Amino acid sequence: MTLPVVVIGLSHKTAPVEVRERFASSSELLPEILARLTAREEIDEVMFLSTCNRVEVIGLPKSGTSHEAAAQLASTAIREALRDHIGARNIDELRAYLYERTGEDAVRHVFRVAASLDSMVLGEPQILGQVKDAFDAAVASGALRSHLARCVSRAFTVAKRVRTETQLGAGTVSISSVAVDLAKRIFGDLGDRTVLLVGAGEMAEAAAKSLGQQAKAIRICNRSFERAASLAAHFNATAAPIEQLESELVQSDVVVASTSSKSFVITRDLVKRVMKQRKGRTLFFIDIAVPRNVDPAIHEHIDNAYVYDVDDLQSEVAENMRSRKAEVAAAEKIVEAELGSWNQWARGLNVNPTIVALRAKTRGVLVAELERSLGSRLKHLGEADRAALAQMIESATNKLLHSPTTRLKQAAGASDGNDLVRAAQHLFDLPAAPAAQALPRAEPPAPGAPVPAPRESEERLPH
Amino acid sequence: MNETVAEGLFYLTAAAYVAASVLFLRFLVRGKGDVGLLGPRLVGAGAALHAAHIVVASLVLRVCPVEGIHFPMSVASMSMAVAYVLARKRLKIEVAGAFIAPLALTSLLASRFVGGGAEPSARVKSAILPFHVTTNLFGVALFTLAFSAATLYLIQEHLLKKKQIDGVFRRLPPLDVLDRAEHRFLLAGFPLLTIGIVTGTLWARHVELGAPSEVLRSIFGYVTWLVIAAVLFMRAAVGWRGRRAAYGTIAGFGFAVAVLMLYLLRSPSPPVTAQLHQAGPTSSSSSSSGHGRAPEILP
Repeated sequence: MTLPVVVIGLSHKTAPVEVRERFASSSELLPEILARLTAREEIDEVMFLSTCNRVEVIGLPKSGTSHEAAAQLASTAIREALRDHIGARNIDELRAYLYERTGEDAVRHVFRVAASLDSMVLGEPQILGQVKDAFDAAVASGALRSHLARCVSRAFTVAKRVRTETQLGAGTVSISSVAVDLAKRIFGDLGDRTVLLVGAGEMAEAAAKSLGQQAKAIRICNRSFERAASLAAHFNATAAPIEQLESELVQSDVVVASTSSKSFVITRDLVKRVMKQRKGRTLFFIDIAVPRNVDPAIHEHIDNAYVYDVDDLQSEVAENMRSRKAEVAAAEKIVEAELGSWNQWARGLNVNPTIVALRAKTRGVLVAELERSLGSRLKHLGEADRAALAQMIESATNKLLHSPTTRLKQAAGASDGNDLVRAAQHLFDLPAAPAAQALPRAEPPAPGAPVPAPRESEERLPH
Repeated sequence: MNETVAEGLFYLTAAAYVAASVLFLRFLVRGKGDVGLLGPRLVGAGAALHAAHIVVASLVLRVCPVEGIHFPMSVASMSMAVAYVLARKRLKIEVAGAFIAPLALTSLLASRFVGGGAEPSARVKSAILPFHVTTNLFGVALFTLAFSAATLYLIQEHLLKKKQIDGVFRRLPPLDVLDRAEHRFLLAGFPLLTIGIVTGTLWARHVELGAPSEVLRSIFGYVTWLVIAAVLFMRAAVGWRGRRAAYGTIAGFGFAVAVLMLYLLRSPSPPVTAQLHQAGPTSSSSSSSGHGRAPEILP
């Protein structure tokens, strides 16, 4: 049995952008959401991932009578926290959009997400950075401490292997580059067109990279002018404060919006005014932000203005992805291999308490007998002899328990491993300790710090 | 012998246009094949054969192709094909051949059934007549290209608004390229149309035209000019682009076609290619004397 990890979320595959944007969260709001989740007694560790294509809560339940029961309780708690997050009365109305994975499926899902195998643009590099940001935020707020942190950390290793051992991430395809390709389908050549980036975050940076020297000019408009100026300097672009958005729209042809604003930055009234000043010249908006930045009514009601959001890019993405399909199989193999290793390690967590208890009991019996003898018949022994006897007991314990320990560890990876564990517990009268109960709590690491080393009772991650 | 050559050229032209149409349509509908080189070349070959056909046929009939309107549809569609071949690379509208090739083919085939080859009578003959006909036919050819670009624009615009950006959308030229091409063709055709209107007005003063169809044709001619002028003016002045401009262009083209049809359908003379079968040493004189009514002008 592996760790009862629970993943509940929604993605571009299960929910349209107008639903996803209700769940999305900016980095500023993450601590609040994580606090809400960690306040639930059913959840031991948790991480909140919010990207333009997915919103997910990855949680590890607190101890319970069984993994299944613990996972069920955690699932309910996460759903309730999500309900509160979006301010809904009832989460049931959104049930159709939510997916849930537990146990091995959940871990596989986390690995696939980090490796960009579940992304709209297969192999796109941004997702790994977004998962790392979510990981750092969760570690910083104390929501990730031990086993789940290790699981996500393991996902980074999977992603790295997929990038280095396959061609899945070859080229520069990303949501931004796909958006630029679509702009070319409308304008033909972008060589005489001006592209406006509204927002100066990672996505805007990726868009600027994708544009390269293709556009006549790149302009960057952002709420923080300093950030816009910094990005503009990097890409030989022109920066402008958000207050100049209207005049910037008048002189641009393609607008890539990617701010973290919760409401529309570009409204229908604004574009109406802009189109008059533009004398009807085509204006193409690519809204890669979630929540969306551009009012979709513009697309419906204003001539020569077109608004495409991330969901609308799917068919464009599919065209780009055909060449990458062959690499997916290779990447999936890596995921499965890593999942196998992870499962072996995770199952070891079930055996370790029994092994520790067996060693403690054996050693305790031998030490108690030795101390009794040293207090009576062997009273005359000196310090050196007593030390030699202690060493002998330690050695005897190790030799005696070597085979049972090895067998139990081997059995941990097998489907009937739990039977052997229960047999050992029964034969040696050891306390029955469900894995969930055995999960030790650890102190939260510092933000950005590496995941803590395994405790004594944990096995090292297999590599 | 010459009649056989003219007939042969006619069929070869039709074959080239058919091949180009099939190639373009196959590409558009099923996304198969590469029309980048072969399609436009086939249209070009068709245009060359078409020109040869017109020359040989006019020699057989002993009429000047642009004096009067012996080959109105044929000359207009050939001019359209030539203009497409010349402009396609510069305007990046290769795939517009999917519209041009079938149009050229239809016009070529229609020329067998409509339009007449009667010589202009002395009543309507004038020094400005060939000039008038030529400018009008070239103007119609360019407006046909503008119409094609406008129609393709509306298809693309519809797909883009409906967010159906795979399939046909990927194969047609980009939206703005079509808008620009439509505008350029209108700009190029408008001076020709203006000259046609001016020369037509001057010529109409010279010849008294009183039949209702002639008056209607003149009115449609002026309306065509006004519509095209309005489309160009509104684009420059208040930014009528895209869909509105496309609708205006299509309306203008509709009036131009109406003018052409009003002329062609009223002509009592047999079509040019039909006359090729009867052509002989006296064909010119017989045609001019054999039909009581002389061809009129395209206003």
